[in-house]
Amino acid sequence: MGQLDAIIHQPLRLKIMAALNALPAHVQIEFMILKPLVGATDGNLGAHIITLENAGYVEVEKDFVGKKPRTRVRLTKAGRRAFAKYIAFLRDILDLAESDDAKA
Amino acid sequence: MPVSPSEAKQALREVSETERVSATTYGYRTASPHLIVWGVIWMVGYGSTYLKPVWSIVWPVLTVIGLAISLWLGWKERRSAHPVDWRYRATLLVALLFTIAIFVILSPKTPAQIGAFIPMLVALFYCLAGIWTHGVRMLMTGIVVAVLTVTGYFWFSAVFPLWMAVVGGGALILGGVWLRNP
Repeated sequence: MGQLDAIIHQPLRLKIMAALNALPAHVQIEFMILKPLVGATDGNLGAHIITLENAGYVEVEKDFVGKKPRTRVRLTKAGRRAFAKYIAFLRDILDLAESDDAKA
Repeated sequence: MPVSPSEAKQALREVSETERVSATTYGYRTASPHLIVWGVIWMVGYGSTYLKPVWSIVWPVLTVIGLAISLWLGWKERRSAHPVDWRYRATLLVALLFTIAIFVILSPKTPAQIGAFIPMLVALFYCLAGIWTHGVRMLMTGIVVAVLTVTGYFWFSAVFPLWMAVVGGGALILGGVWLRNP
């Protein structure tokens, strides 16, 4: 069984990773669209994105559309791999529990 | 930090739901400009037909323009997307062949029939896309276009092209804007 990834394990960060993982590899999602998808506020979404960015799981791009600032996020290859490992880890826990139940 | 099986199950459920909503939102945003483009084309095409029936000859030109823009939008999107599942292409091909067959076998006889039949096909495809992608907004847009088309055909037949220009085209544009909103 793999190891728990403490960065992804946080519930909101897990949702952010899931939302980004559902998109094609090079697609960026705007902060304002991501926010309602994961049920976050401006403040906590920004903080968790920074944590994921520091871990190398997401890339953040900031620019302006006219005078409006725009922040876009996308999953990196490392992020996609880490997410897949985390999901495999969760499935292993379920498989193990099922095999224990079967033995009992 | 141990994770219990029930926590793992709950986390997987949340991941699955978030991925589904995210994929649907992405689908909406890629479909949105297509709906707006075709809404404008319906407004121009049906509007021209209403003003002077002879101007209905603009339809082939508008159709080519619409297809060219749609292809360009699709090409732009595909540059950054996953490879398209062959079943989507096969579904489009089957739908196209079916539409051609319908026209050959049961060809609509009057301009109003043609003007109502094509929007009904469009509505059908939006409904199917909505059902298969869990896209409630897409499904609703398809239903609204179908209901408005039938309403105009039977109850506003005297001004049907105007009805389709304003109400049908308008519904597509509003549907496109609705899909774009978070």
